[in-house]
Amino acid sequence: MTGERSSLLFVLVLAAVFPFAVQNPYILHLAVIAGIYVVLATSLNLIVGYVGEFSLGHTAFFGIGAYAAALLSTAAGLPIWLTVPLAGLLAGLFGIVIGAITLRLQGPYFVIVTLAFAEVLRIVATNWIGLTNGPMGIAGVPQPASVAAAGIVGGKQIYYFMAAGMVAVSLYLAWRLVRSNSGRAAVAVRENRFVAQSIGVDPFLTAMHVFTLSAVLAGFAGGFYAHYVSFVGPEVFRFSFMASMIIMVLMGGKGTLLGPVLGAVIVVGLEEYLRQAQELRLTLFGLIVMAVVLFAPNGLMGLLARRPAWLARRAAPALVSNQGEPA
Amino acid sequence: MNLALQFLANGLVTGAFYALSALGLTLIFGLMRVVNFAHGEFFMLGGVLGWVATAVLGLDFATAFVLVVAAMGVLGWLVDRFMIERVRGHGEESTILLTIGLSIFLANATLYLAGPAPMKVPAPLTGKPLFLGPVVLTKSRLAAVAVSVVLVLGAYLVIHRTRIGRAMRATFQDAMAAKLSGIRTERIFAATFALGTMLAASAGMLLASIYSAQASVGGLVSLKAFVVVILGGMGSFPGAIAGGLILGLSEAFWGGYVSTGTVDIVGFVMVILILLFRPRGLFSLNAQRA
Repeated sequence: MTGERSSLLFVLVLAAVFPFAVQNPYILHLAVIAGIYVVLATSLNLIVGYVGEFSLGHTAFFGIGAYAAALLSTAAGLPIWLTVPLAGLLAGLFGIVIGAITLRLQGPYFVIVTLAFAEVLRIVATNWIGLTNGPMGIAGVPQPASVAAAGIVGGKQIYYFMAAGMVAVSLYLAWRLVRSNSGRAAVAVRENRFVAQSIGVDPFLTAMHVFTLSAVLAGFAGGFYAHYVSFVGPEVFRFSFMASMIIMVLMGGKGTLLGPVLGAVIVVGLEEYLRQAQELRLTLFGLIVMAVVLFAPNGLMGLLARRPAWLARRAAPALVSNQGEPA
Repeated sequence: MNLALQFLANGLVTGAFYALSALGLTLIFGLMRVVNFAHGEFFMLGGVLGWVATAVLGLDFATAFVLVVAAMGVLGWLVDRFMIERVRGHGEESTILLTIGLSIFLANATLYLAGPAPMKVPAPLTGKPLFLGPVVLTKSRLAAVAVSVVLVLGAYLVIHRTRIGRAMRATFQDAMAAKLSGIRTERIFAATFALGTMLAASAGMLLASIYSAQASVGGLVSLKAFVVVILGGMGSFPGAIAGGLILGLSEAFWGGYVSTGTVDIVGFVMVILILLFRPRGLFSLNAQRA
């Protein structure tokens, strides 16, 4: 994983020069959507790849972030640089509550209980008309004044830089968490719960740390999404967002920071590209997902990591013969 | 009071249907521990193929039913042998992603081939609704309830009274030990998956004769089925029936007395509470954690 930091920095540098090379508002729009998904995939990856539990309820935090930002800006009139961080914080609070309940369970039960939470929130958002305007959703989430002034291409460029900033902050936070005591402890729990416990790691507490940060990141993404699309309805809790996130994380490679970034960019591109196939689009998409699971189970990062493994195999006999010599 | 009786009757009928549509998942998720998100699509395919066989090809209901269930059994067998088998033992994520991919594929391929319109399977029984005092029930619903009872009993007998059933129970208790004692576990896995698929498809076809089959219904069916399986306890047939009835009744009364918009919330709240306070499910007798 020594190459991971330089790869991530390379991705960020590439992202920084990207809008100067491309002036097409459609491509910039795709890039902003990809940015939102990079944050979401990174956030889900913290749970799937580092806690080692599979959450199907991650849209809960995305949706809470989106509704929080929408309500804070339409009802309270706060600007975007306040609503998005507040959306993240609120999602984090919900993360603490939901994590405290769900992280007591493991395996299939964790999967189902997280899904149940997301569904409960979706139904509440549909029916609590006084707060969320129900199925009609909240329209007209205000754009920042600078975007309105900058024209079509300029506006997209501003959004692009905001998205890139959010991606950089999220990746930095995820990076710091993974390298922190909590992150390393979480990996220890993922690999062997009992050994980790025997050296004094509290599995529940470490999982809570990671889960909470993950919720905060998903909340950021939701808040930014609300401003960018300028409409939030109960469909932010829909399972299709969840399916996209899972596919990105697993296609890219879970448990690596770079994998979900690649996965998000590829899946957003692939979904757009498959629009050519029109009605067959989702059918093909389902087939591709199945093919990835069957033929590249560790995702793209798994494919990339194959070469070092092959190199290591050549070096292995030397290691064995060294050990074989009497001390 | 009359209204309460009607809610009770509606709840029991809906509950029987929930139990019926969850039976396949009781095997696949409850026993095999495969988190199968394509369950609802198997259910949907049962209904759509039933429509093709009866309304398009003109077969009678019973022949069509047997053919559809057999075809779905073959599909389930193939899915297990060529897909699930490859990711068995690789943790939940691979199976979940695989079955999500399968469900996206099946739902959209069906939508593409058959269109979004509801497809009604001609009901085997027609006639006037029955009036039991103040309660109204239709014959086809009662027939579907009766068929569900037969299917539940049949599946229960297969698992608890036959040789292959014993092999199934051994395999899901300890696959390695079962293999060592000469059980071809990969066949047992495929057979169980096929049986679960057949149960899902028969539920789909029966309910398509009462309501109608629709390509997009799968997601909702999967969710309800997961709720029923967890309420009842993993892998327990009596539990699945009780879970279905509880879900049907509480939804009927919630919808009748509290609000119809939030009916779907009942099941999910129950799942959260059950997993927290009684993780073995309400009716699980063995020590399996649900």
